[in-house]
Amino acid sequence: MRAEELKGHLDALLLAALEDGPRHGYAVIESLRQNTGGRLDLPTGTIYPALRRLEQAGLITGSWSVVGGRRRREYKLTAAGTRALSGKRADWLDFSAMVSAALEGRPCPSPA
Amino acid sequence: MSEPRLISSYLAVLADQLPASIVEELADGLTETHRSYLQQGLAPDLAAESAVAEFGEPQEIVAEFARVNPARRAARRLLGIGPLVGACWAAALVTDRASAWPVPFTVRILIGAALITIIGLLAASALSTRYRLAARAGVAGCLGIAALDAVLITGVTFTSAPMTWVVVGAMLASTARIAFAARSLVPALAR
Repeated sequence: MRAEELKGHLDALLLAALEDGPRHGYAVIESLRQNTGGRLDLPTGTIYPALRRLEQAGLITGSWSVVGGRRRREYKLTAAGTRALSGKRADWLDFSAMVSAALEGRPCPSPA
Repeated sequence: MSEPRLISSYLAVLADQLPASIVEELADGLTETHRSYLQQGLAPDLAAESAVAEFGEPQEIVAEFARVNPARRAARRLLGIGPLVGACWAAALVTDRASAWPVPFTVRILIGAALITIIGLLAASALSTRYRLAARAGVAGCLGIAALDAVLITGVTFTSAPMTWVVVGAMLASTARIAFAARSLVPALAR
């Protein structure tokens, strides 16, 4: 998937990558890569500013630790982030069901 | 394990343009990416090339950090609400015949010049893809607009300008903008 197509969904993908617990930037990228079957085509350096943006929005929190002599920033979901992820997930399921129905020429299921 | 020169050079380019804490985080991610390629069996130099290519162009990363900089976001919002506050003052100046207020011509010119400078700073911050320019111009613009609003409020309060409801409305609009600028400065200065 190309970067432009991903942009509108990046926040939800990043929040989902943190759903199972705290992760540092590289681990978030690895999780995204695994969960997208390696089809993520995004300069991975741009994930870090996106994480900072989510942190400023109060959806995740970041904290520093030292690993192998290097400082490492780890992120975890806040309560607001968990709620935002649920909302984005529901919106996406509704949206994808609607588009799938339209593309396949079948009736659109009613929203959950 | 020593860091390949390519990775050191890449991080040096970022360090020239971004705060140390951000570069530390990127260095950790880039080192992990490099290590991952080494574990896949690539030679160190090729692993470094692959890691840097995967990370993306330094200017693209800097521009993304500039976009999420709190000072830049504050500058964009201040530019957005600026016309509203300006309209309040314009209404006050027109309806209360401000030309008759006892304000020296030099002071009027200075206020106009300050306003133009502040708008320039806020616009530079709002449009810049250079992190430090976006941050510094944004902070300067926030401080400048708060100072200008304070000068306007103080000036109107202590001159013999008529205190009509239009003037009071403009002063309230400026007070709200001072509060917004001050609140925006906290995260902007914390970085």
